[in-house]
Parts: sequence; C-alpha cells; structure tokens
Amino acid sequence: MPTPRSSPVPSLAVWDLPTRLYHWLQAVLVAAALAIGFLAPEWWMGVHVWLGYGVAGLIVFRLIWGVFGSQFSLFASFIHPPRQIWNHIRGLIEGRPPHAMGHNPLGALMVFAMIAVMAGIGVSGLLALGGVENQGPLAGFLGFSAGDIARKAHSILAMALLAMIGLHVLGVIVDSWLGRESLVRAMIIGRKRVPAGALLLNPRPARRRAATLAAICAGTAILIASSLAGMVPASGLIAMPRQAAYQEECGDCHEVYHPSLLPRASWSATMAGLENHFGEDASLAPETAQAITAYLDNYASEAWDTEAANRLRAVDGTAPGQISATPFWKRKHRQIEKSVFETKPLRGRSNCGACHRDAGSGRFDDQMIAIPAR
Amino acid sequence: MRSLLILPAVIALLATVDAEAGARQALLDGFATQAKAADSGFAGFSASRGENLFRTSFAGGKPDTPACTVCHTPSPLKQGETRAGKPIEPMALSASPDRYGDPKKVAKWFRRNCKSVLGRECTAPEKGDFITFMTGQ
Ligand code: HEC
Ligand code: HEC
Ligand code: HEC
Repeated sequence: MPTPRSSPVPSLAVWDLPTRLYHWLQAVLVAAALAIGFLAPEWWMGVHVWLGYGVAGLIVFRLIWGVFGSQFSLFASFIHPPRQIWNHIRGLIEGRPPHAMGHNPLGALMVFAMIAVMAGIGVSGLLALGGVENQGPLAGFLGFSAGDIARKAHSILAMALLAMIGLHVLGVIVDSWLGRESLVRAMIIGRKRVPAGALLLNPRPARRRAATLAAICAGTAILIASSLAGMVPASGLIAMPRQAAYQEECGDCHEVYHPSLLPRASWSATMAGLENHFGEDASLAPETAQAITAYLDNYASEAWDTEAANRLRAVDGTAPGQISATPFWKRKHRQIEKSVFETKPLRGRSNCGACHRDAGSGRFDDQMIAIPAR
Repeated sequence: MRSLLILPAVIALLATVDAEAGARQALLDGFATQAKAADSGFAGFSASRGENLFRTSFAGGKPDTPACTVCHTPSPLKQGETRAGKPIEPMALSASPDRYGDPKKVAKWFRRNCKSVLGRECTAPEKGDFITFMTGQ
C-alpha cells in the first residue's frame, strides 16, 4: 500500500521515541564510562560501575524493544541477507549505496556488533568486580585469578568498542553525505525522508503493553537474582580475630599492617629480625614474638584471595619484609610518590591508612582511596 | 545520686594515680639497688646526667637514630614522632602523667631505644638518671 503523498517532501516516522531515548542515553553513559575507565584515577571506580549498571539496563531494554518495538526498531527488520549486505558494499564503493529506510545493512551489522560487545563488557566487568575487587553480586562466586582474566577481557573489549564507535560515527557521516540526509537529525526527530517511488508496507506499531510487561519481569528477575547473590559473603576474605599482642606491639611505631599484605616467608623474616627492624631495635619478649609469629603465619597473604594479597605476594627479594618495596606497590604509587611522599618523608609510604580508608580490613577498595590534602 | 557514682570513680582514679606513682618509685628504687650493687660509691641519680643522656649524639648505635631527641624532640614537653610518622606523647611526667608507671613498658623501651641509639643496653644509673630528669620536668 503506497503512502499518501500529501506533503511535498514526504517523511516517515522511523525511530520511535523509546529507541531515540535509548540511543542517546546509551551514547552518553558509554562515553562517560569509557572516559572514566581509561582516564580517571582509581577512586572513580564506583561511578564507573554505576554507569556500567546503567548501560546494562539500557541493553536489556533494547533487547526487549528489539522484539516488541515498532517496525524499524525490531531486530527482525534489520537482519539483512548476505546478498543485500554485499549489494550495499558494492553500491558504497561506487558512491551510490541503495537507500534504506531504517538501518542500512552495514549499519545494522554494526548495531548488532556493538550491542554484543557492550554486553560482553558488562558481563566481564561484573566478573572482574566480583573476582578481583570482591565487590558486586558475584563477589561470593569468583576467585581472583578468574576475575583477573575477566578484567583483561574487559579492557580489550572496551578498546574494541572504542574502535567500533569510531567506525559507527564514520558510517553515519558517510551515509549522511551520500544519502543527502542527516542521520543524526533523523535519530533526534525520528523522521526520515521517503524517496520518490518508494513502496512502503504499513509499518508495524510498537506493542507497548507486552514490552512493559517484559521489562517489569526482566527488572524484577535481575533485582531478585542480584540481591540473592549479594547475600553470599565475598569469597576473597576470611574471618580474622584481632590479636591484642599484634595490635599493641606492632602498632607502637606505625600503623598495624594487615597480615594479608605480606606472605608467610616475609613475616617470619621480619619477626626473626626485630633487633634490626628498618634501622631500629624493635625486639620483643620471646613469648610475645612467638605468639605474633604464629598469628601472622595463620593470616598471611596465602590465606586470602583479595586483590592486595594477590598482587603484593610477589615481594622484592632484597627487602622481603617491606610492602612498599614490592614491584606492584611501586608501580601503583609511582605517580604520587614525588608530590606527596617527598614532602613528608617520615609519614609517607608506610602510612597506608592515610590514603586507604579501608586499610584495616585488607580490602583496599578503589573507592576508598583519598589522598589527604596537604 | 550522681555524686554517689562519681565518688567511686574519683577514688579509683586516685588509686591508679597512686599505684603508678608507687610503681615509678619502686622502679627507681630497683635501679638504685642495682646501681649500688655494681658500684658501692653510687650516690644517687642526677637529673643533669639524665639530660645529658637525652641530648647527646652517640656514634655507637644505628645510623638513623644517633640521639633520643631524634624521636622524642629536644623538648621533653613536646610531642615527638616515630620515624614512621606516628606521634609520641611528651616524655616529661608533667606533660604525660602516665609515663614510667609500667615497669614492663619501661624495660622494653629502654632496651630497644638504648640499643638503637647507643648500640648497647643502658645501665641502671643511666635509666635512673633519665627518669629522674623526666619526672622533674
Ligand atoms: C620501634 C618501632 C617499631 C616497632 C615496634 C615496629 N616497627 Fe615496623 N617499622 C618501623 C619503622 C621505622 C619502619 C620503616 C617505616 C618507613 O620506612 O616509613 C617499619 C616498617 C615496617 C614494615 C614495612 C612497611 C613498608 O613500608 O612496607 C612492616 C611490614 C613492619 N614494619 C612490620 C612490623 C611488625 C610486624 C611489627 C611488630 C612485630 C613492627 N613492625 C614493629 C618501626 C617499628
Ligand atoms: C599517599 C597516599 C597513599 C599511601 C600512603 C598508600 N597508598 Fe596505596 N594507593 C594510593 C593511590 C592513589 C592508589 C591508586 C593508584 C592508581 O590510580 O593506580 C593506590 C593503590 C593501591 C593499591 C591497588 C588498589 C587497586 O585496587 O588497584 C594497593 C593494593 C595499595 N595501594 C596498597 C597500599 C599499601 C599496602 C600501602 C602502605 C604500605 C599504601 N597503599 C599506601 C595512595 C596511597
Ligand atoms: C626511633 C625513635 C626513638 C628513639 C631514637 C628513642 N625513643 Fe624512646 N620511645 C620511642 C617510642 C615510639 C616509644 C613508645 C611510645 C610511647 O610510649 O608513647 C618510646 C618510649 C620510651 C620510653 C618509655 C616511656 C614510658 O612511658 O614508659 C622510654 C623510657 C624511652 N623511650 C627512653 C628513650 C631514651 C633514653 C632514648 C635515647 C637513648 C630514646 N628513648 C630514644 C621512640 C624512640
């Protein structure tokens, strides 16, 4: 059924409001998450994670809308057979790509690819958050090594997404140029010009009620599943009683270091060398030293699966008892070393709690870092 | 009613202050006995020798800690700081009334700090002189 030709330049509502809102919200949230992930200091991680949850929610919506939305939002409407994709590429090379009312075949491929990669980023991010950071709904289910693999996948996928966004924008520019119609404007006002002689079937309207129902079901399922999962305690941390002797004797000159920050061999070397402890005599009565050595042996880094325990386990062979000499510690604190530590040479490095508000728990969460004002 | 509760608290406080003063005296008496045993000519502790010990820079100890004042500051009335940056309450009894009341603590820190600064344990007269100086400040 041909569309009525009442106006001189007939146009058609292509992108419904939910699709347009989804598109621009997605663009903003993803840009912010990428910028923070790549550029911001570690303590922005909380914001990054919430942006990630936001993007994940949008993707769930898009999956539902891809089934219940209006004509051009339906996934089925932009699955193109290979022959059509090939035709489009040929037309593009000749500078005259065939007109497409919704997504053109190449653009459609990119939409599917971006949704898939964003979903992958969300899943790997959740796995990394649970495994490495012992946070989020998966904290109780994943170990550090699995989480660390997910963390690497997360950043590789994020770089891939960055490249895909570049291609997507390039595609929009090229298509707008060759088709003499701004696709950006179309994604804002929702309408596209109908070329002369185009035959259009009645576009299918959105099934709003079904979509709402599906969204409510999905949202409820996600909320219930994540709060149930969140009740499982983080797998990387163990229960550790406080030992009075350790708290008192090893807290006289500096803060009491969390036993998970060094491996057993380091603690026993430290305890055996208290007569000459970092340039001082810190010797103890033998029975006190024995009790503390046993305590540290029980709760040394080998007993934990936190990020700090895993990373700091590799000590510097020439200073096995010094947390701040481990390669990981040095790498992580390289940027701040000059500005902060040198102005207060005596209170800097070894005063973990001055910057890590959760140093006492051994968690060392990214969100709990705050460099004190000088 | 309230005064009934305050009274025992005051008594308890006075008792601990008293106990600490007693412990401090016992500690000094102990050092004096040891000093006499080692040297029959021992004629009592001297605050000025104590001050000397406190202020002198020694060469025999560990390189980073040549003197007591490195951590305790040159003023017994001022708050000091460990090499790792933790505050140390003043050493003068007038500024820190709890000082030298716990024999175990005193023994532990004399052992450590003298070894760090002088490279050896302090003698009984040295310890007595030091406490005498600090209690008089
Ligand atoms: C007499 C004072 C003193 C006592 C008591 C003491 N330490 Fe230390 N410790 C130091 C000093 C000084 C440093 C070096 C700090 C610096 O470089 O800023 C240090 C450093 C450390 C470090 C390395 C920190 C880093 O920079 O990575 C560890 C670990 C440590 N101590 C453990 C212990 C343990 C365990 C005990 C209890 C048995 C203890 N300390 C008791 C003075 C002390
Ligand atoms: C002057 C402030 C400061 C002090 C003191 C400090 N840190 Fe940090 N630490 C930071 C900052 C800032 C970061 C984040 C660095 C980055 O952005 O990569 C960090 C990162 C870390 C991380 C990695 C956290 C993660 O999730 O990536 C660990 C573990 C850590 N610090 C342990 C320690 C320990 C142990 C000490 C004490 C021996 C210590 N820090 C002392 C500021 C400090
Ligand atoms: C490397 C730092 C350092 C040096 C040097 C040092 N001290 Fe101390 N001293 C401490 C710390 C830390 C304490 C325990 C903190 C506290 O009691 O508030 C302490 C405590 C003491 C105490 C116990 C006080 C009490 O309340 O019972 C005595 C006694 C003492 N020091 C004597 C000395 C003498 C004597 C010297 C020099 C020969 C000396 N110190 C040098 C760090 C030092």
